[in-house]
Amino acid sequence: MKQFSGKILATIFILLAALFAAPVFSSADENSGKTARLYGAVFDKESKQPLPGANVFVLELKRGAATDENGAFSIDGLAAGRYTLVCRLLGYEEMRKTVIISTMNLKQDFYLKSNPIELQGISISAEKNKINLTESSQARQVLSEAELQKHRGQTLGETLKDIPGVTVLQTGPAIAKPVIRGLHSQRVLVLNAGVPQEGQQWGGEHAPEIDPFSPARIEVLKGAAGVQYGAGAIGGVIRLEPRDLRKSGGIGGELTLNAFSNNLQGAASLLLEGGLAKWPGFGWRAQGSLRRAGDAKTPAYHVLNSGFDERDWAAAIGYNAGRRSLEMHFSHFGTTLGIFRGSHLGNVTDLLRAIARGRPSTISSFSYDINAPKQNIRHNLLSLKSRFELANLGRLEMLYGWQQNHRQEFDAHAPFSSKPPSFPSFDLTLTTHTADVTFQHQPVGNFFGKVGVSGMRQGNVLAASRSLLIPNFRAYSGGVFMIESWVSGAWTVDLGGRYDYRWFKTFRRIDDNVVERIHDYSNVTGVVGLIYQFAPSWSIGANLGSAWRPPSLNELYSNGVHHGTAQFEIGDLNLQSERSTSLDLTLRHLSARGRAEISVYHNHMHNFIFLFPDPEPTLTVRGAFPTFRYQQAGARLRGFDGAVEYQLSELLQLGAAVAVVRGDNLETHEPLFQMPADRLRLTMHWHLPDWGRFASSFFELNATLVKRQTRFPQNVDYADPPPGYSLLDINLGTEFQFGGQPLRFNLSAQNIANQTYRDYLSRFRYFTDDPGRNVVLRLQMPFGTSE
Amino acid sequence: MNPFLKKLPYWILVVAAFALLAVSGCKDNPADPGEDNEQELITSVTLNLTELDAAGNPTATIVSVNFKDPDGPGGTAPTIGTLTLKAGKNYKGTIKLLDETKNPAEDIAAEIKREADAHQFFYTPKDGIVGRVTVTITDRDSRNLPLGLEYNLAVTAGAAASGKLNVVLSHYQPASKKNGTTRSDESDVDIDFPVNITN
Repeated sequence: MKQFSGKILATIFILLAALFAAPVFSSADENSGKTARLYGAVFDKESKQPLPGANVFVLELKRGAATDENGAFSIDGLAAGRYTLVCRLLGYEEMRKTVIISTMNLKQDFYLKSNPIELQGISISAEKNKINLTESSQARQVLSEAELQKHRGQTLGETLKDIPGVTVLQTGPAIAKPVIRGLHSQRVLVLNAGVPQEGQQWGGEHAPEIDPFSPARIEVLKGAAGVQYGAGAIGGVIRLEPRDLRKSGGIGGELTLNAFSNNLQGAASLLLEGGLAKWPGFGWRAQGSLRRAGDAKTPAYHVLNSGFDERDWAAAIGYNAGRRSLEMHFSHFGTTLGIFRGSHLGNVTDLLRAIARGRPSTISSFSYDINAPKQNIRHNLLSLKSRFELANLGRLEMLYGWQQNHRQEFDAHAPFSSKPPSFPSFDLTLTTHTADVTFQHQPVGNFFGKVGVSGMRQGNVLAASRSLLIPNFRAYSGGVFMIESWVSGAWTVDLGGRYDYRWFKTFRRIDDNVVERIHDYSNVTGVVGLIYQFAPSWSIGANLGSAWRPPSLNELYSNGVHHGTAQFEIGDLNLQSERSTSLDLTLRHLSARGRAEISVYHNHMHNFIFLFPDPEPTLTVRGAFPTFRYQQAGARLRGFDGAVEYQLSELLQLGAAVAVVRGDNLETHEPLFQMPADRLRLTMHWHLPDWGRFASSFFELNATLVKRQTRFPQNVDYADPPPGYSLLDINLGTEFQFGGQPLRFNLSAQNIANQTYRDYLSRFRYFTDDPGRNVVLRLQMPFGTSE
Repeated sequence: MNPFLKKLPYWILVVAAFALLAVSGCKDNPADPGEDNEQELITSVTLNLTELDAAGNPTATIVSVNFKDPDGPGGTAPTIGTLTLKAGKNYKGTIKLLDETKNPAEDIAAEIKREADAHQFFYTPKDGIVGRVTVTITDRDSRNLPLGLEYNLAVTAGAAASGKLNVVLSHYQPASKKNGTTRSDESDVDIDFPVNITN
């Protein structure tokens, strides 16, 4: 039945698409005489030379065109209306123009001002289009503010799921860890407002400590990106950028309210920002958010103790004087979250009985209560960012970050007692200072580039522990890097190199003595990238990169039972650094009708660190536990992922995204454990015509089809991967003009068919189903004045 | 000059002071790992069985078997003895659980007795002694459900045999209520004791 439902769903989807397309086609025919063409050319402002390969975008329609050899472009099928055009080209300042289209064709030329400093994706604009033909030789995807709106109130992991090649490692509804092309945890770097997030990523149930309301833009770099971001970013980088601070006077803000039907979650976020007319360039921002959820509901039962209570706030202040700027950010993340009660197991026999039962033994009615087992997490981040433009030299940027992560984990109960424990079984405080200095030189001929140094100091203090996960430690690391790009016509060549050093000392109390041990690692990272824009609307990027990662503390020191999975994990003090060498090829297309980004990759991991089952179980008073040791072996990850969007008609856009990854252990010739299953996502986005005071309305239908993972190592897991599944989501959005301010409504329904399923990457798939239908109402109200 | 710019050094100072404050206020001294929290362990489990005579009265013959894991889970593997029972005999048994990492050793059985409503022992014969050995729990909790710190063990007459006696201590939560027959998903103890039946 499950295999069929996928096909049925796909058929329904196509039928619906046809159904929606038909009236659109006919209306397009009726209006064919009424649409207009926008055309023109793009020139260099100084030399007046035409610029090929520039992108001209119609913001409202999310489509555009690229200029040809003569700098000319043309966009057809524009209905009468007011449009914002955005013109962009690498090495030039972005330019925006508002045009009014009546029934006549319109000519619009652009004269772009050269700005080589803005190269390399440093400049951040909130509504930057998803695909830029010449920006990155690596697979890269951006979620704009508009796209983030559709996921407000959900975890960071959930938000990123729309990006092909990104999945989540889920531990109940509140803990979602992003997985990029099969890699996660220490291998994925999260940059929060430029500062590498240093939380406690030691386990699968430790999610990034990020307020999902704060980022205005998220960029995901798939694959090793170690040169820019240092050792560790071996699987990918997630960059979260807050809104730009206001530069002009006035005060404004935004109120967001969310309601979720599944776990009766309520979420609210209030953002206030302002500037002073007397001091142009000075800006401030304050934001606070609340998220409160009760037990999630699968189609058949509530998942006991899966609620959460999150309170986050952030403040920023900055001054931008054109040639120099200074910004300070502070953010606080705080959450208390329950861990599904049924996941607290005694031993493997208990786990096998729970699996055989098929559903939790402890089922109760809905509740907002959060009881042990639970986690209490606080994360504070302070960052200082300064930029100086040095005349005829380039730009200097300095970034300092301080962050403190405090994690407490409470077991279900004190041993042999029914009472909740009075103290946490696990209490860690991790404090990190990071500093980065980057210098971006003025272009020399066709060369653009930058050099940088970075350093980090880190200390971890363990206040209490029942099972040794990681010891106390003090760590220092530093790195230097250089990246140069050569840009000429249709070609871009990148070359980068980096050296990193990491030193740390651990402190353990063994029989009343403090035992110290020093570990140090150093290595180089390199990248060669190539982009060739072989046609005005097509480019191909190739990226050959090599990056490394030192073993993490848990891989070195773990020694104890992991509750929930009932396995005994043993670290190895002699692990070596792992290294990824990967080749990526990315094909990009951008035209008036369609856009696409498709990548294939081959990633060879040398000394890949993973848990390998030990033939001998660990015998304890609580029974025998299967034992897993951290080991190293050669591994290979390869696959492809990509997204294609096609404008079928003026109003209807179809999209598809696919991700396939194959992971293999090259020594045992077996598949790697816990690799995401193949998935396909089909999207139909229908722009609805304006009606009265309702504008920018859309209806979206998404189908997600996930295959069963058939490639998994034998005799490692307790249960075979669950069957494949397919989910149908709908999303309806509109903007209501109210007193000069838009009021944005969004109504979505996830898993609308209330499908019962379990995802292979859900860590609770042994005991419980994934959540059922979830109807979400979102309201977003921007407000403000300007002076 | 812009008035703000004039004050820029001042702002930098403010910010730096703030940063220093934030930094100095934090707990960051990993060099001194604190004492481990007192962790409750079961390091020793002993079954003591007193042989009964034909009338059901205790005799002077006592057999016992012990599980010992002084360093807790991991590290050195535990040692487990073998229980020798006589065919055709009845025994009256108790189970003793100790945490010997404490000085004096802590009596975990006493703690379980206090939390009787949330615990139950399960004694399950395995392999060659199935059908030969029967365990009947004799002690009760406040709701008159079996507990298992005390029990009777009967061995049927017959040939010599060997197998295992599996001892499980199930821990119950209010949500997964103890019903006297079903094990919970949380086992505090799960040991297979080798058993020989002799004539």
